[in-house]
Amino acid sequence: MSALTLDHLTFRYAGAEVDALHDISLDIHAGAVTWLLGALGAGSSTLLLVSAGLAPQHTGGTRTGRVVALGTDLGSTPDRAPLAGRIACVTASPLLQLSGVAATVWEEVAFAPANLGWDIERIRRATDAALGRLGVSALAARAPATLSGGELQRVVLASMLVFEPELWLLDEPAAALDRPGRGMLADMLRGEARRGAAIVVASEDADGMARVAERLVVLEHGRIAIDGSPDTLLRGEATWTAGAGGTAFAALARRAATVAQPAPPLLLPPYPLDLSEAITRWT
Amino acid sequence: MNNRRGGLARRAHPFTLFAVTGGVAALAFILPAPFGPLALYAVVIALALIAGTPAAVSGAALLCLPLWAMLFLLHAVIGGGERIALGPLVVSRGGIEAAAAQAGRLGAIATASLALFRSFDPSRFLDAVARRGWSFHAAYLFVATLQAAPRLRERAATIVAAQRARGLRYGGGPLRRLRALVPLTLPLVLGMLSEVDERAMALEVRGLAAGVPRTPIAPPADHTADRIVRWAIPIVLALALAWRLTR
Repeated sequence: MSALTLDHLTFRYAGAEVDALHDISLDIHAGAVTWLLGALGAGSSTLLLVSAGLAPQHTGGTRTGRVVALGTDLGSTPDRAPLAGRIACVTASPLLQLSGVAATVWEEVAFAPANLGWDIERIRRATDAALGRLGVSALAARAPATLSGGELQRVVLASMLVFEPELWLLDEPAAALDRPGRGMLADMLRGEARRGAAIVVASEDADGMARVAERLVVLEHGRIAIDGSPDTLLRGEATWTAGAGGTAFAALARRAATVAQPAPPLLLPPYPLDLSEAITRWT
Repeated sequence: MNNRRGGLARRAHPFTLFAVTGGVAALAFILPAPFGPLALYAVVIALALIAGTPAAVSGAALLCLPLWAMLFLLHAVIGGGERIALGPLVVSRGGIEAAAAQAGRLGAIATASLALFRSFDPSRFLDAVARRGWSFHAAYLFVATLQAAPRLRERAATIVAAQRARGLRYGGGPLRRLRALVPLTLPLVLGMLSEVDERAMALEVRGLAAGVPRTPIAPPADHTADRIVRWAIPIVLALALAWRLTR
């Protein structure tokens, strides 16, 4: 079932001379992780904002084409209250995601369910569970302003996880996370997909996303350049040709291939996706 | 129930703090000058100390000091009318009374406001509003406005540090400091504007405008003493006004 449909979507920021997104048509299905990859300025962040209905409402600019999120046509429905608590949108600045009025991390995570009018027992259960799943229960009594970048990112993720959204839109969610944090994020994304949520992640972290995403959409200059399986695409040259890069092992092989001329076949595609594959292939 | 530890001001119901501050501001103008405002200032200082906000007393005094000096200069030194000796100075009797009344009003209002600001807990206030079923959206905007000044200060400090790291010399004479304000102001204003947009987006996602009554997470206790104080304030104001009008 399609949780998000973009139909010939074009978006341009106010004052810009080119479209940030051009003629994008995409169906995002529930129960799967879709990964957006692209070079800087390719349009991944804008695509997330438009999909959440936050652009052009909050950013300005013009949009053409249709965006249907969770059955609601965002262009024709001025009342967005029905979507409250159904879409999680994590932007690239965790500090600006905070409510600014919560005295503790616990209150910060409970902010959305309280706004949604849940009863207090349900809020308590959901908040404790979300903090536990992101490994930040120990921070519950801390003031949000005192957290480190990684802690803050986990709290922001918990503050969205708490209301069990049907659609996740995440912009570079792993940027501030350490290795255990990235592992926890991957587990959370898999868990949310199993629960039936539709997940769209814009991320440069090819190594982290390679084993999490079922689908890879590569954007180039605001257009869809490639759409396919990460398992297939990351082993080849297509993502590199689109200027979006790839895994660290592919980068290593490509660099080594330019040094060792003629390049030995083991440095050519298909590239290994992770360490265990690299060891098998290169030793 | 949310009854955080701390001084009396931190334990009081948030509406009581607002009522007291409002009451002080009104009384400062109702009570007859010059002794009324001066006595009120003394009472407010005592209340602030009892309520556990001594920093509000010193902070307000520091804040008012230049204004007090200005009032003294304008009314007492330059002012006309009967002159009296005040130590080595010869000052206007009417002027010194007017300056004392204004200084008392300023001191009382500044001390009460600073005590409120220092003991204000946004989440307790918002929970109190939610419990009453009042507009949470409007209350959030009110709290965000109250918090704008400290946020601006924090952000300015970060920008100054960043600009210094990039070679900006902030010290020196007034002219140099004024020139250094330009690379500080632009990123500060632009940053705040973009921050407003992004925060608005985050709040919308988190259901701030969901259109349902918000659940208070830990509403502050509204003790009998709080209710008595809140009822007493308008009564005291009415009595003071009546006394002032009939005397």
